[in-house]
Amino acid sequence: MIVRTPPPKKQRSDDGGSPATAGNPLVTYEDSPLQTCHDHSDQYLCTYQCRQMVKADVLDALSKAERQARESQTKLQTLNDKFTQADAERKQFRDKFLYSEQELAAAKGREKVLQEQLLVEITNSQDRFTKQLQSSHTLEVNLQNEMNLRKKAESSLATAEEKAKLFEEKLSQLSASVDREKKRLNSDIAHLGKEAKLSVSRIGADLERMQCRAQNAETESGLLRSQLEHLKHKFDECLQEKTELAMKLASFTSQASPSDNSVLVKHLQEELKRYEAEVREARKFKSQNFDAELLKEKLLEEKSRRERAESELSKLQQLQLSMDKLENELSSWKSLLNDIPGVACPDDIFMKFSTLQKEVLDSTVKIGEASTRSKQLEVALDATQLGRQNAETEAALAKEKSEALKSDVKRIEVMLSLVTEEREQLKAVLSEFRKSNSGGFMSGATDGALVQGLQSSLAKKENYLKDLENDLSQLKDVNNRQRNEIELLNEKLVNEARKIKSLERDSDRLRSEISLLESKLGHGDFSAANTKVLRMVNTLGVENEAKQTIEALQAELQKTRERLLAVEELKSQSGDPGKLVDSHITGKISQLKEQIATLEKREERYKTVFADRISVFRRACCELFGYKIVMDEHQRPNGIPITRFTLQSIYAQSDDEKLEFEYESGNTSILDNQYASQGEIAKQVEIFIRKFNSIPAFTANLTMESFNRRTLY
Amino acid sequence: MASKIAAAKDIITLHGSAAIVSEFFFYPEESFVKVKKYGLPMLLIEDESVKSFMSNLTSQISEWLEAGKLQRVVLVIMSKATGEVLERWNFRIETDKEVVEKGVSREKSDKEIMREIQAIMRQVASSITYLPCLDETCVFDVLAYTDADVAVPFTWIDSDPKLIANPQMVKLHAFDTKIHKVDTLVSYKNDEWDEEDA
Repeated sequence: MIVRTPPPKKQRSDDGGSPATAGNPLVTYEDSPLQTCHDHSDQYLCTYQCRQMVKADVLDALSKAERQARESQTKLQTLNDKFTQADAERKQFRDKFLYSEQELAAAKGREKVLQEQLLVEITNSQDRFTKQLQSSHTLEVNLQNEMNLRKKAESSLATAEEKAKLFEEKLSQLSASVDREKKRLNSDIAHLGKEAKLSVSRIGADLERMQCRAQNAETESGLLRSQLEHLKHKFDECLQEKTELAMKLASFTSQASPSDNSVLVKHLQEELKRYEAEVREARKFKSQNFDAELLKEKLLEEKSRRERAESELSKLQQLQLSMDKLENELSSWKSLLNDIPGVACPDDIFMKFSTLQKEVLDSTVKIGEASTRSKQLEVALDATQLGRQNAETEAALAKEKSEALKSDVKRIEVMLSLVTEEREQLKAVLSEFRKSNSGGFMSGATDGALVQGLQSSLAKKENYLKDLENDLSQLKDVNNRQRNEIELLNEKLVNEARKIKSLERDSDRLRSEISLLESKLGHGDFSAANTKVLRMVNTLGVENEAKQTIEALQAELQKTRERLLAVEELKSQSGDPGKLVDSHITGKISQLKEQIATLEKREERYKTVFADRISVFRRACCELFGYKIVMDEHQRPNGIPITRFTLQSIYAQSDDEKLEFEYESGNTSILDNQYASQGEIAKQVEIFIRKFNSIPAFTANLTMESFNRRTLY
Repeated sequence: MASKIAAAKDIITLHGSAAIVSEFFFYPEESFVKVKKYGLPMLLIEDESVKSFMSNLTSQISEWLEAGKLQRVVLVIMSKATGEVLERWNFRIETDKEVVEKGVSREKSDKEIMREIQAIMRQVASSITYLPCLDETCVFDVLAYTDADVAVPFTWIDSDPKLIANPQMVKLHAFDTKIHKVDTLVSYKNDEWDEEDA
């Protein structure tokens, strides 16, 4: 350090030093021979004196040099002090620099922390976003699953319904076939009963026939006996005659000639033979007669048999038809049995029925369950849709948030870049400082400027930090706001879910109401706005009168029949005179029948004419008096018949404007109904009917009022 | 033309069923003849008064059917003594307005229609098994539910619907012609014995 003194000092020493040593360089003793050898070769020529002089000069120069050395040492010391001072100052600056560097590092650390926080937040938000996306995906998957389930449930519902329908159809078919079977069996039973009756009646008829035959045989035997007696009597008479004749003959033989006698005898014998022939003929006739009667009876019997056979034939045809039908039914049943799985014999059908009914019940229960399930699914679907919407909105919010965060990050990055620039600037400043430091001492002014620059940069940093803190607080506020919004949305969601539930309840109620109304409609309810109920006027009532007359005539006919039967009995008792009465009665009956037929025809004609005329009359009445009149027959609870008239004005403004009158044995009275009890109408009724006892005046007045109402307003 | 034929078919069906119902309740067995219709043996009444009533009724109803104004035909069975309604045979008719207004014809085979009518006939005939016994003299009446704008003919009057309070209802098969769909439903008075049991 001492050897290599800086040149400016040399200059200074030159400036302030002695001029005698100006030309001689300062040489060390040891170096001197060399220097003399190289630079000053004429010193070898110096003498002793010269050497002494040189010594003295050297000594002077040494003392001077010593002094200078002392001076320079003092200077050095001062410089050293200055240097130490500068060093301390440098140290201070270094400390300050380090401090600022530390502060910078702290700022960086904070920045890093903030960045990390931001990154964490971003990653959190991204995670949340991904989670929400995942949840939305899962919700979508769930939704699809639910939709699939719903479709499946609907399809199963449809299949169950179809099954139920099929079962119902089967059931109805089976019930119909069972009914048919029952009916057929009933008809068979009736048929068998009829057959049994027929056979009983046939047997009875046979019995009666046999009895008749026996009676006939008895009467014939009686007749034959009487004939026999008659013939015996005749025979006795003949014998008596014969004896008489023999006596006569004897007397004649005594009196007359024997030739005459013999002639007479011959004559008598011939007569006798004729008689005998006659008797034989009579017997033959009798037997023939008997045979003829027998044949007639047989013929009748055969006829009846033939009729029976014919009827039996027709029955047989019917039976064959029914047999065919039964066979068809049986085959259809068999095919049905074959069609029904798990049924081997008809006894199984009842089991099958019960199982089918159970199945139907089960299926209806299943349908109910499926419908409830579908409803639940619908509700869940709605809820999931709502959740999905919420999730979507949340995702949108998160996206917005993430975008905001990204912009924040960008801002922060910009700030970071600014900070790094500043750092660079600071580094540059520091290097400058270092340079200046290394180059020598710095002026206080530049140091102050540097310090000020650093302070200002520090202040800027602090401002940045404050800004960042403000940003953070703002972000926190935004977060809080978003949270509040989410909570509000959740509350809204809950409210909406409640609303949905109440709406579902309402829809269920409405469905039940609809089903009730449908059942009412099916029963026969109607709305008066677009439907009218009509019935045909009393035509069967008119016909009832005709029926009554017909019934009376029929009763008369029955009576005459009874009389006829009585007369027939009388006839059978009293023989011939009955025939006359019989023919007379049959003639009368035919006459009466003809009369009945003509009367019926006339009645028909009267009816048609009456219907035509009455319609004309009604129309005319309506046109002339302005009232449509409907007549009804009623009976009071005590059985007294009343005729009720319902009048409707052609100027009536609604269907309810009807007047009702009761007509009973010449008295007509108005009935109180809704229309008649209206204020104005009631007043008119009071005045015209109750006070003046005039219905026509009342109806005319009402007509005028209705007409005026129709035309004037 | 097609609509006329179909309308006539409808009428025949209603007429037939009415006659069948009347068979069971009102008229003696002798006043019916056996006729084969829709492939089924049926009993049609021979009583002239009922026949003329039916012919008047069916002519009016076919007129309404052709115009598409008829909503429902109801056969009401009432007690003669008290006038209480015991049974209501509801034939609800849904008219295809398009067919009536534009004359478009639908494709449906007669065989299928016949089959459906047969099914109803069978059900009507078998309904005797569950309908309550009518052990008193009864009368029947026919109600027509028409559109409100229909002019009332002179042989017809407005009527109340003659409903049964708290009825039992049995839905029968429906059948469908090319123009009209007919739903059949029978409602009857609730059996008092059942109520007492319940």
